[in-house]
Amino acid sequence: MSIIPYFFLVFSVVAIASYVILAIISAVETIEYMKKNSFINYKEILSSTFSPSISIIAPAYNESLNIVENVRSLLSSHYVNYDVIIVNDGSKDDSLSKLIKAYDLIQIDYLINEQIKTKPLRSGIYKSTNPAFDKLTVVDKKNGGKADALNMGLNISKSKYVACIDVDCLLLEDALQKLIKPFLETTDAKVIAAGGVIRIANSCTVKDGKLLDINFPKTWLEQGQILEYLRAFLLGRMAWSRLNGLLVISGAFGLFDKKIAIKVGGYDTNTVGEDMEIIVRMRRYMEDEKQKYKVAYIPDPLCWTEAPDNYKTFISQRNRWTRGTIETLKKHRKIGFNPKYKSLGLISYPYWLFFERLAPIIEVAGIIYFGILIFLDEVRWDYAFAFIIMAYLFSVLFSIVAIVSEELTYHQYKKKSIGLKLVMIAFLEPFVNHPTILYSAIRGNIDYYFYKKIEWGEMTRKGMTKA
Amino acid sequence: MSTIKKIVLAEDNSVLSLLLKFRLEKEGYKLLIAVNGKQAIELIEEYNPELILTDIMMPFVSGLEVISHVRNKLNLQTPIIVFSSAGQEEIVIKAFDLGATDFMSKPFSPHELVIRIKRLLL
Amino acid sequence: MNDNLHIFESLKHYPLTIQFVWALSCLFFIFIILLTIYLKYLRSHLRVNEKKEAKYQEVYESHLVTYLYAGNDNEVFSSEQQVIINELKKDVADPFKRKIIISTLLKLRSEISGEIGESIDKLYIKLGLLRYSLAKLRNKKWDVIATGIRELTQFKIKAVHKMVLNNINHPKREVRKEMQLYLVHLYGFNGLEFLNVLETPLSEWDQIQLLEILQLNNDTQVADIKPWLNSSNDSIVIFALKLAKVYNQFEAKEELITLLNHNSEDVRINVISALSHLHLFEATTILKNNFSERSEEEQIAFLKMMENVYEASDKPFLLEHVHHKNSEIRLSIMEILKNINFEEYTLYDDDIKKILTA
Repeated sequence: MSIIPYFFLVFSVVAIASYVILAIISAVETIEYMKKNSFINYKEILSSTFSPSISIIAPAYNESLNIVENVRSLLSSHYVNYDVIIVNDGSKDDSLSKLIKAYDLIQIDYLINEQIKTKPLRSGIYKSTNPAFDKLTVVDKKNGGKADALNMGLNISKSKYVACIDVDCLLLEDALQKLIKPFLETTDAKVIAAGGVIRIANSCTVKDGKLLDINFPKTWLEQGQILEYLRAFLLGRMAWSRLNGLLVISGAFGLFDKKIAIKVGGYDTNTVGEDMEIIVRMRRYMEDEKQKYKVAYIPDPLCWTEAPDNYKTFISQRNRWTRGTIETLKKHRKIGFNPKYKSLGLISYPYWLFFERLAPIIEVAGIIYFGILIFLDEVRWDYAFAFIIMAYLFSVLFSIVAIVSEELTYHQYKKKSIGLKLVMIAFLEPFVNHPTILYSAIRGNIDYYFYKKIEWGEMTRKGMTKA
Repeated sequence: MSTIKKIVLAEDNSVLSLLLKFRLEKEGYKLLIAVNGKQAIELIEEYNPELILTDIMMPFVSGLEVISHVRNKLNLQTPIIVFSSAGQEEIVIKAFDLGATDFMSKPFSPHELVIRIKRLLL
Repeated sequence: MNDNLHIFESLKHYPLTIQFVWALSCLFFIFIILLTIYLKYLRSHLRVNEKKEAKYQEVYESHLVTYLYAGNDNEVFSSEQQVIINELKKDVADPFKRKIIISTLLKLRSEISGEIGESIDKLYIKLGLLRYSLAKLRNKKWDVIATGIRELTQFKIKAVHKMVLNNINHPKREVRKEMQLYLVHLYGFNGLEFLNVLETPLSEWDQIQLLEILQLNNDTQVADIKPWLNSSNDSIVIFALKLAKVYNQFEAKEELITLLNHNSEDVRINVISALSHLHLFEATTILKNNFSERSEEEQIAFLKMMENVYEASDKPFLLEHVHHKNSEIRLSIMEILKNINFEEYTLYDDDIKKILTA
């Protein structure tokens, strides 16, 4: 019986060690990246006829509130060789008619190269009569879910690369230039996908599709998410990219090599974690083909998106992330611990299995075990107290390191008291957000194993704060 | 007493707009500066300028949209000069299709711009 | 005092593990305090700097504009300009202000050509900024060297050509690249001579930057691309092919056709693209003839080009391949057939739908 505490101890030590190692690698890589790009003039790439074509694919479902603004924002990116494909996934509202009116759209004939099977069109494909909007294509199809809509976009796109984006994501003007750079710069491997940093736009002022004012949200729930994203993006992803072990690119915005995405069959419509699943599948394909490849990541903020601001939506989102992770890992279990898949199978997969998928379960098991010990009055309070304090202080320290890293790199939160608020939420988060995350993860596991068919979930669009 | 001719300039590079304002105001024109396409349209609608200068690549409302708005929605024949970085053929054609009067690719010579402006505002 | 001793005494009685854990906790706590203080300092420092920067930027912008229009017709600096020069010279000694001055000059320099552009270059030299850029070249850190070269590029300083060339074999790729950009920016096609000896691959990013700079130069004397087409460095061949396309290098016709049999598929695809752009009839015939032996990628590239430059005589060739197993190729062929012969296309309508979804 006495090995149980050792199990939890070892798990915690390995987890902490991995966080520290990843943080150090991330820091080093980020500094290297910033140095390399401090004198890049991105304008040089934007107007070249030789810059490769990119299609931005944005699925939309019942986004009527902001769709016209969002599309306009997508159309004003500073890249030249790109087009925007909005896939209206059987919306029940007036999204389509709003778009038709705002952009002078008419229906056109279009031969779709159906390389991936999708749900059929509804009222068809639309383009604008106004040359100022000729980058825009709107597709109206029968509802099939986000993955299905993205696949339709893949079928329609004629570009070399596709950027899959959430339609309400506020894309920064130079995001495409920055994200295409890894694809063009890497000479010794093929870059199959790239992602960047997603920032949380809650409480920020957006006017005319431009981020005017960056504010810190009011609720602890939102503040905690910002801290979480800072930790993940600044102290985690960069390291994984360096180790070529990145398994996930944020579903909010990612750039893919279209040919390979189609070759592997596009997005999987049977999973709720389609953004992670397609990356794993693309990586697996490249490993099977024995081609040298890379999934790239850049630390620059690329897009701003809305995060859940109430517990219900938050839990539903984390529940979905949990199920997505479980589904992806299960679908690709063959690569786990398989030497044939090199670092993908021997490092990435195991890490994701233990520290992402199983971690919440182990943590809850630990708490239950502790509870049992209390009940049996067998707790060594001196040990327990010491360890709990240490774990708590470590997590606070780690968050503060993330906050300082953010200041040293992109320093986006300039307003006066935000620094203090961030430190405060670093102290509060283990009590506020973390239990909720654990709860949603457990719910996610329960929902997955008892096969409850749950929809993607609709987030009621509140719209970003208008100036 | 002749009225002073108004020019709306949509350009987000602050030094460049300062330079052009200085130069053009010396020539006797009045400069109204917008930093994005939406602001440009607002200024055009309010002041009805004699000439419009706009960059193509602007946040939110592009230069092309500005041209389209002026020619099609406002139905104005105001001369429009468009500038853009290293002129891409496609964009130039689109600009002219939409009704631009003249086009200058960046980097450009301010002298040349002033000559063209004077010619258009004769 | 006694209480503290008491805690310390009892701590000593605990097992080593617990002592160690408490020590860690104390360490973490100290770091938290230190970092929080550092954070506060960092944030206010950044905030103050930003305000300062914005203020100086405004000042320098207006100085610059006034300076540029305060000139005389002769080469000499006018008295008004001299006043501004003296003021700015004082600020140049301060690295913080120097950085803003340079960035203000650059902000305008990249948009302006002609006399005023040259005027900015002269100001750069007159303010003594050249010395600082040259000093950067002698620095040990690679990012400083690269920034120095970039400044020299942007202000078009030719005189220090030799110093820049010292970096030709710098171990860091970014420095070598800045040097290449310097050469091409200032010397146009002549600056491309480094391609003759380049052994490392030229990434697509590099190629795009070089092409853009060449276009800016409006150089009418195009270099001879033939030696590059025969380079052993595939990326140089691809770059030369792009040059052939942009500058309509018909003279290289023979070499291009030979390249259709190059080892690298990537090269072959680029050759097809270049040849199609040049409308070389012999090439189209050759490509049509050995179409089936080519890889799918090459076939797609060829058809893509043909979508823009088809002829009615291409019809039999197209009909021959209309049932190709690759749907993208089938679609391309359909598009071209549609354009060639609209009436017959509508007859094929149902067949086409069947073919596409086969």
